[in-house]
Amino acid sequence: MMGMSRAGLAERWPLFAGAFLSVALGVALVQSSLLLLISAATYDPPAGWSEAARMAASDNAVAAVSMLGVILGIATFLAGFIISSTFAFTVDQRRRDLALLRLVGGSRGQLRRLLLGEALLLGFLGAAAGIPAGVAVMNLQGWLLRRMEFMPADFEGQWRLWILGVSFGTGLALAVAGVLVAARRGSRVRPLEALRETGAAARVMTVSRWIFGLIFLGGALALIIVAPHGGVSGGVAMAMNVAMPAAAAVAAFSPLLVPLLGRLIPAGGVTGSLARANLADARRRSASVAAPLIVLAGLVIGNAAAGASFTTAGADQMRAQTRADLVVEAPGPVGDRIRSVPGVAAVSTETAIPATVTTGSGEDQESESAMAMVIDPAAYAAAHSAGDALTALRGRAVAAGPGGDVPSRGTIRLRLPGLDLGEIPVVAGVPATMSGGPNVLLAPGVVPAAMLASAPTQSFVSLAGDADPPAVRAALARVGEVSTADAWLRADAKDRNSTSDKILLVIMGLGGLYALIGVINSVVIGAAARRREFAEARVTGLTRGQVVRSALRESFAVTVAGLVLGGVAAGATMATVLTTTTAVVGKGTLDIPWTLVAAVIAVALLVTSVTSLLTSLSATRRRPVLLLGATE
Amino acid sequence: MPTTDTVTRVNAAVTLRGVSRVYGRGAAAVRAVDNVSLEFPRGGWTAVMGPSGSGKSTLLHCAAGLEKVDSGQVIVGDNDITSASDAELTALRRTRIGFVFQSFNLIGSLSAERNVALPLRLAGQRPKPAEVRATLARVGLADRARHRPRELSGGQQQRVAIARAMVTRPEVLFADEPTGALDSTAARTVLDLMREMADAGQSIVMVTHDPGAAARADAVVFLRDGRVVDHVTGAGPREVADRLAAWER
Repeated sequence: MMGMSRAGLAERWPLFAGAFLSVALGVALVQSSLLLLISAATYDPPAGWSEAARMAASDNAVAAVSMLGVILGIATFLAGFIISSTFAFTVDQRRRDLALLRLVGGSRGQLRRLLLGEALLLGFLGAAAGIPAGVAVMNLQGWLLRRMEFMPADFEGQWRLWILGVSFGTGLALAVAGVLVAARRGSRVRPLEALRETGAAARVMTVSRWIFGLIFLGGALALIIVAPHGGVSGGVAMAMNVAMPAAAAVAAFSPLLVPLLGRLIPAGGVTGSLARANLADARRRSASVAAPLIVLAGLVIGNAAAGASFTTAGADQMRAQTRADLVVEAPGPVGDRIRSVPGVAAVSTETAIPATVTTGSGEDQESESAMAMVIDPAAYAAAHSAGDALTALRGRAVAAGPGGDVPSRGTIRLRLPGLDLGEIPVVAGVPATMSGGPNVLLAPGVVPAAMLASAPTQSFVSLAGDADPPAVRAALARVGEVSTADAWLRADAKDRNSTSDKILLVIMGLGGLYALIGVINSVVIGAAARRREFAEARVTGLTRGQVVRSALRESFAVTVAGLVLGGVAAGATMATVLTTTTAVVGKGTLDIPWTLVAAVIAVALLVTSVTSLLTSLSATRRRPVLLLGATE
Repeated sequence: MPTTDTVTRVNAAVTLRGVSRVYGRGAAAVRAVDNVSLEFPRGGWTAVMGPSGSGKSTLLHCAAGLEKVDSGQVIVGDNDITSASDAELTALRRTRIGFVFQSFNLIGSLSAERNVALPLRLAGQRPKPAEVRATLARVGLADRARHRPRELSGGQQQRVAIARAMVTRPEVLFADEPTGALDSTAARTVLDLMREMADAGQSIVMVTHDPGAAARADAVVFLRDGRVVDHVTGAGPREVADRLAAWER
């Protein structure tokens, strides 16, 4: 049977090239994400660095690790999704071949073994190509992480020998898992189907498709319902995870939904009505092209909107909480100098210091990099609307900051650069905010003056009612860089937005590219089987141009349908964002990145149109009579 | 009009008893095969003729176990396959029956000899190259063993298909319009080959609409609207054509 597999590979190469590519790129993406995740988790800043720099680098690494965890999750999801949809499509395209084998005495088991054998072979070859490709992807992603300053300049993804086993395992497992359902279906083909000219279209909405679709739908609904009750970090994380099951559910039901949407194409002229009829008839092909588009649009647009909305909500929350007129940025304990400027009513001076927080004890003990901030409790509470939450903070005690991660009661071990503060009671805490911030708040007395002298500090200044703002600004300019609170908050929000854009680029960039390749795959595989159909249309009287135009209109319609359905999946994320922001900051916030939406639409239409144009031109190159005359 | 549908009484290769096959339901139901009882004799070549839509292909599919019957009985040799399981039907196709179709249905990626060896390999045997070559030689294609289907003419492809069907030495060969896609010269070669096989004792059931092809068979059964309406033995092409024309009227 393996001989058959090999011969089959040689004959139907566009099908298998597509399946091979999907495995190779999937393995590359998963391997790269896994290696980077491990490299970041075990990252040690160079010994030569100061402890402060090392602590700051570790804090960044923690953020990068959680980001890479998301990347790994998305890469695995995408690989599983794209590979199984590609394999299912290739099996479906060969129903006639499979029926022929049944006709000459092949059993169902033999067909299943044949298809599984092919999948194993493709999984192995795909992994073999994906492993070196993964190294290239890792270098690219590693470069992105350094470039976007998520990791220090000396960070590099490291190769591990055992990844060979993991990657081959991933390739084989994804390929076999991807083909299992399709192989079962393919092996049940009736021998008589070999006698039909074009393999009969199998029922597309199978029981397993319904089950998968409903499971993913349930998962998405559960996240949508629970997210508003998950608090700041939980809610955000759940909202970011809605797009995956929502897209998978919509994709599962796409054989029902795509033809419905296809009715929206104007049926003008013969090419239009042919395109519409083909779209409704070839549900399998339409669904296979639409599926990766749904995932692409759902994931990219949904998560970009979520990221932007949460950033905006965070900035809004911060603006609402901040009570200050000016912000002064200058290193060290400048509070007294600012307070002495005439016209200054109040000032909250806040100095950031990298730290390591250890919580729990015994086996549960856990150390995490964190950001500590030295504040004047009363002034901080006034500047940030914290009420009397911090009145207990004095002396050698700390409070939980708006960045979360530290319990607001209990004891922690706190280590600052070059200074182990030992066990410290947490006596107060401010609520976690959407935009995050320091994890630990310290009263001034705890930290030696030397450490504060050059640490980055921001001071929130309130003016007295009778102050002359330009004069105060001029006087404060001698202390440090002055901006109005509004301008500072705007700049801060912009900064956070660009960080969230960068995170999106790192997380979604390659995944989106992979999904796009899945789209191209499906278009090419679909067209490879259409030579005969095109030839029949031409002998019926259509010109080559009309056939190509009709194929283009069909592909346009499928693309639009895929994008609309992807929009539905993204919409599920957006709905979650609205309910979550309402629950967390009291005001529903939705920020749709229209430029990105336009870019996704443009790229998707461009890619499917160009691919359809090229494949249909190539499929109609030979004279139709030659194609129809040859029965093989 | 014969009083019985029986063609030959002794030792039938395939027996149909009151077989019906209905497509669709209710008002749209079509009785493609309507209560047909027939015996296809062992060692004989029977042609099934009829106008298009007369149910001749469906009859062949039912007789070969490719299509389930709605009522009646299908017996191949002495095995009732009416309600055989998929595994039993697979075994039947492997060892006891062979198929030839109008569209050849060879596997394009395999050479002629590997196409011929395929049924043996699917049956779990290790085909002897000499045996495969000998089968190809019997259809006159010893020198085309390594060619792929697309490198062969239509007639040659059909002869490869016959070799593939014959390699398992089946009890019955089912042929559905085996000359339908061939020019007259190629068709004659294929029919000569089938005549030779029948003379050597091979049971053949062939569906055709070509009176010339049907006249090469030992007996011809005429079908119309799913029913057997006539049968004739030893008729020439002219007589077959006349009878067919009479039933098509």
